[in-house]
Amino acid sequence: MDQCASTLLAFPPTLANVILNKESYHEAASVHTQRLAKLLKEHTRDLVAYSYELFQVVHPTVNSISYLVLLHALMFPSFASSVPSEFIQEKIVTFMMLFDGHQSRYGGTLLLDLLEAVGSGRILPPSVAVDCLAAAILKLDPSGTILTSSHLALAKLAYETNNIQAAIPVIDKDIVFYPGMANEVAVHLCDPELPPFMYISRVTGLTANVKSAAVLEYDLLCGMIYCSRREWKKARAALERAVSFPTKETGCSKIMVDAFKKWVLVGLLSEGKYLVPQASSSTAKTFGVLGGPYIALAMAFASDDVSELRSEAERNMPVWLEDGNVGLVEEVIASYQPWRVLSLQDIYTKISIPEIREQTKSAETGAPLNKDEDVESLIQNMIIEGMLKGVIEKNDDGTKFLVFLSSTTNLSEQEFAEEIQRAADRLKELKQVFVTTNQRLGTSREYIRWAVKETKRDKSGDAQDPTLGFEAQIDDEDLMSGLPSI
Amino acid sequence: MASNQEGQLLAYFTAMENQGSIIVRDVPKLDLELYIANYKGRTRFDRLLLIGQSSVPLCVDALKAAVIEAKKGKDVQRYQDAWEYLRMASPNEPETEYDNAWVNMTTKTNKNLAHQLEAELKGYKNNLVKESIRIGHRELGEHLESTGNINGAADAYVKMRPDASTVSHVIDAGKHIIGVLLQKGDWTGVLANAKQIMPPNISAEEITREQPYQRMVTGLAYLGSEKYAEAAKCFLDAGDPIMCQQYNNVASSNDVAIYGGLLALVSMDRDELQHSVLDNNSFRNYLELEPQIRKAVSMFVNCRYSACLEILERSRSDYLLDIYLQKHVSKIFSLIRKKCIVQYLVPFSCVTLGSMSSVFAKRDEGLEAELISMIKAGELKARINTIDKVGYLLVMTSSEPRTAMQMKALETIKGYQREALDQIRRMSLAAADLEIRGSARKGAVGAGILPGLGEMLDDIGGEQNLGIEGTS
Repeated sequence: MDQCASTLLAFPPTLANVILNKESYHEAASVHTQRLAKLLKEHTRDLVAYSYELFQVVHPTVNSISYLVLLHALMFPSFASSVPSEFIQEKIVTFMMLFDGHQSRYGGTLLLDLLEAVGSGRILPPSVAVDCLAAAILKLDPSGTILTSSHLALAKLAYETNNIQAAIPVIDKDIVFYPGMANEVAVHLCDPELPPFMYISRVTGLTANVKSAAVLEYDLLCGMIYCSRREWKKARAALERAVSFPTKETGCSKIMVDAFKKWVLVGLLSEGKYLVPQASSSTAKTFGVLGGPYIALAMAFASDDVSELRSEAERNMPVWLEDGNVGLVEEVIASYQPWRVLSLQDIYTKISIPEIREQTKSAETGAPLNKDEDVESLIQNMIIEGMLKGVIEKNDDGTKFLVFLSSTTNLSEQEFAEEIQRAADRLKELKQVFVTTNQRLGTSREYIRWAVKETKRDKSGDAQDPTLGFEAQIDDEDLMSGLPSI
Repeated sequence: MASNQEGQLLAYFTAMENQGSIIVRDVPKLDLELYIANYKGRTRFDRLLLIGQSSVPLCVDALKAAVIEAKKGKDVQRYQDAWEYLRMASPNEPETEYDNAWVNMTTKTNKNLAHQLEAELKGYKNNLVKESIRIGHRELGEHLESTGNINGAADAYVKMRPDASTVSHVIDAGKHIIGVLLQKGDWTGVLANAKQIMPPNISAEEITREQPYQRMVTGLAYLGSEKYAEAAKCFLDAGDPIMCQQYNNVASSNDVAIYGGLLALVSMDRDELQHSVLDNNSFRNYLELEPQIRKAVSMFVNCRYSACLEILERSRSDYLLDIYLQKHVSKIFSLIRKKCIVQYLVPFSCVTLGSMSSVFAKRDEGLEAELISMIKAGELKARINTIDKVGYLLVMTSSEPRTAMQMKALETIKGYQREALDQIRRMSLAAADLEIRGSARKGAVGAGILPGLGEMLDDIGGEQNLGIEGTS
């Protein structure tokens, strides 16, 4: 046991200069992981037997890799029978919440095994699992810009078990990197300056392979997660990522088509109209053919003709059922009247409630609302939700009317400056990603090969130009030589 | 007798309406004989027939004149058409008797003459005398045109071109071609050929001579293709009306005045109207022919919009009987009306609907609906207030440049951010080789990939189980 403990506690080195120097840190960490691998292989039984004592001395933050090895020994291939599973579960949660993201870059496949096990939702209660997984993903990559296999597991688990809230911090991040895009892995995994794709890859073992279907599925899941939270704008952006997924050679995926269908409906909820998708012409054609009923519904939604919308919605009921979009279609139908009311602001500045009742129909019944009070409460709800900027006022003779306020807010100079500052900050964050991408592209093999070719071509071009060659010759020659000096 | 005839007319016009003709019930101001005397050539018949098909009060007279006009020429088909219409409209007229002898004789002479001309042309071709060949083609073309074989005539005229040796020959050929293209309503063809009758190397004298014709036909072609602004510029630049009147086989200078004035009202603002219509020396001569147009334009320039609309409305039935203008009248009138409404509102920040309808109200339809449709289409920047004051109020939306600038700045930043992220994301996807591929590498990349569209529709059922499990 003492031997095990000394191996487990050998890292991190206590000397300050070793910690500060990334080369020596890397070396120490590499040696340590090798030793741990050996330990795990040869002394699994000891590790399990003394796990109580060992967990006493190994700290999840300070000795993250060692803690991970201990957990791994207890968990795989299956939970150790000699230890109560509650104990293991508790230790898993402790580790997931507290491990050091920096050190754990060396955790490799061991960490991935743990993440996958938690992501499967079988070893921890789903609500805890989602929480742990989200925390772990962000610890490993605080910027959250790279998509990993754990992301997908997290999204699936959160959506299927309806534990969405805890997953939102991860889901909200803008994904810009994908595993498999970097040609090489960084030399020093511990380098804090490293962009995430340099240490999270299949080579380091921190993510499994991610295929395009998985990327699409993740975007679709994010869209559906936002849908269930009724955050239509975010849902639309997520689905749009899937809809505008890059394609080659007239390719198109079933998931893209599914995303397109939802995207059309969500677009109606967030924008009130159908916008043409940004996709290659062949993909757009596929969408048009396979998503026909959805586009027809969207067209009917933008018109004043409520009966057409109703007939479209009813006629295609089997389609909605088959695609699992009945709920969304119902949302769309319910939002028809609010959008009609909103469209009145382009025409009126003030309009009485009875007039609104006359002019807008509910798509649920196909008729105007029965009472002015219903219209009033509808408008109140819209105002509360922030969909409509306006107030309901009362006239001298008692008629209530709606005053539309300007949809654009006039900011004071200071507010505007603050807003611009915030935007600039966001752009600065973006710059990080931009610089990284630029660096990656600038050092990619293809680019260098091309650049070398270009410089060669320039040179050979020079050589071929006879006039240039002539001038060069003149430079070399001393034209004055041989002339008699005067 | 009278009621019988009315019944006939009613049936006739119902049939015409079903055919898609525009029916004009009001009595036009024009006098049929004077009107038609303004024109020469084949357009006379076309115009008479159109009036016969459209105008209720002038129908019988016009059709009778058309029958007589047709019999003056050699086109048997035209005679038959006009006769048919007249028989439907008023079977009791003496002209309804079918002149079989004339038809047979004309058909025969036409045939013979065509053969003769073709034979002559062949002779010329054998002799290789360019000028004779050109004349031969022209004569054949003119004969075919007068017998109603428009396409044959166009072919013959086009063949004149290779043998044209001087500028005037080129112009001559061009005019003949344009003549038949106008009858066919081939506006793009007219435009292409109209450019050729003003070659760059002609003298100033020729320019003054040819300009009216060239501008007129170009204008007509633009009018036909609904490019009103371009058409207006052409008509306004038509030069001397006396020169123009020479080409009354196409349109009279009165017509040019009407077209130019109306289209200028559609497409120009007040300053431009003053400058290029009222102060335009050459066009002023045209306007003298049609004083009501000049009045309407000056009313518009002087902001008396209701008077302007009223003047135009009075001549509406006349314009509806014009062969080139008929299809566009309602569109042109509504455009002018909308422009009047927009212009009327310029100096105000808010206007009661009552005062507006005193200026613009029509008998049958409400102004509010029209305003709403204009606001929806974005033609009018205004909002309606149905609450304050007595009656409705139209409030002009004031643009707030500062707010607009702020919004735009923030919008731009957001847009940039979104776009940049998206671009980087796509680059990364490409770098990670994650694009969806089509049929070229079918099945090369993971599950959920569909082949090309064609196959996709065939085996869509088989693909259902691929890709997303438990996500839908």
